[in-house]
Amino acid sequence: MLAKQYRSFKHDLDARGIIFSFSGYLSEEILYSLGNALRQKMTLEDANVSTVKKVFSVFVEQAQNIIRYSAEKLSGDKGQSIELSSGMVTIGTENDRFFIVCANVVMAADEPRLRQRLELLRSMDREAIKAYYKEQLREAPEEQSKGATIGLIEIARRASEPIEFDFDPIDEQKFFFCMKVSI
Amino acid sequence: MDNLTIAATERSPAVDFDFAAGRLSLKGESYPEDASAVFGPIFAALEAFFGAARDREVSFDFDLSYFNSSSAKALMNMFQMLDQAAGAGCRLTVNWFYAADDDTMKEFGEDFSEDLSHVAFNLVSVE
Repeated sequence: MLAKQYRSFKHDLDARGIIFSFSGYLSEEILYSLGNALRQKMTLEDANVSTVKKVFSVFVEQAQNIIRYSAEKLSGDKGQSIELSSGMVTIGTENDRFFIVCANVVMAADEPRLRQRLELLRSMDREAIKAYYKEQLREAPEEQSKGATIGLIEIARRASEPIEFDFDPIDEQKFFFCMKVSI
Repeated sequence: MDNLTIAATERSPAVDFDFAAGRLSLKGESYPEDASAVFGPIFAALEAFFGAARDREVSFDFDLSYFNSSSAKALMNMFQMLDQAAGAGCRLTVNWFYAADDDTMKEFGEDFSEDLSHVAFNLVSVE
């Protein structure tokens, strides 16, 4: 039963073209290890350098967004200060393209601003995204933001299609936020 | 002033600032958790050095294979500082190294160089 259950779970992931999927508490160390495994896997399979870079870059920005902005965090001080953020990162291939999906819980109060930023990026073409990136690099960071805007622009810049995103309400205070990027 | 040498870590670049010789270099990857913790000491050392550099000849090598968006922001600030120093008389050359097949790092070099009016900027493709 056990093997059947998990074989079917694994089969479902494989059928969706998923290379790996992480769900749970993310830290910078996990980001580093997963990122390295991802680059090694892609390099072994002869993906070209530029594609490996783009996928890795989107992965890092998405994972760091979860680490910084997830509304589900655990923190404490057990000899050293620890903070873990919950979320999900999935990487796979479909139609000969790589895709990276991230998901995490966001506070309802943060949803309008995030939606607005993503819609703005969706409305821009490649040249406009590049110009917006440069403009934001020169700007001082927004208050309350540890660099979210520039991170999202970096993601949009590496993507080969407009970023897909969605919010699913959990309750009055929270949304489940999901974003998909194709390279 | 004292040279600044910081070994690379898994997510931050190697810093090798030989101020006496006027040779500065950043090499590796940069995607730290907190970019200000990594770049703060680098900026402090560069500010002190360029504050007294006058018309010295200085070369600065950037040999970075990947950096995240918050590091890109720190690098943009660094280039603004370098261009000011060059505008004030320092004879500064920046060499931006990128792997020949790495369009992303090449494009970053082009982007950063667009804003420079006083620094001599070389884009160097490495096979």
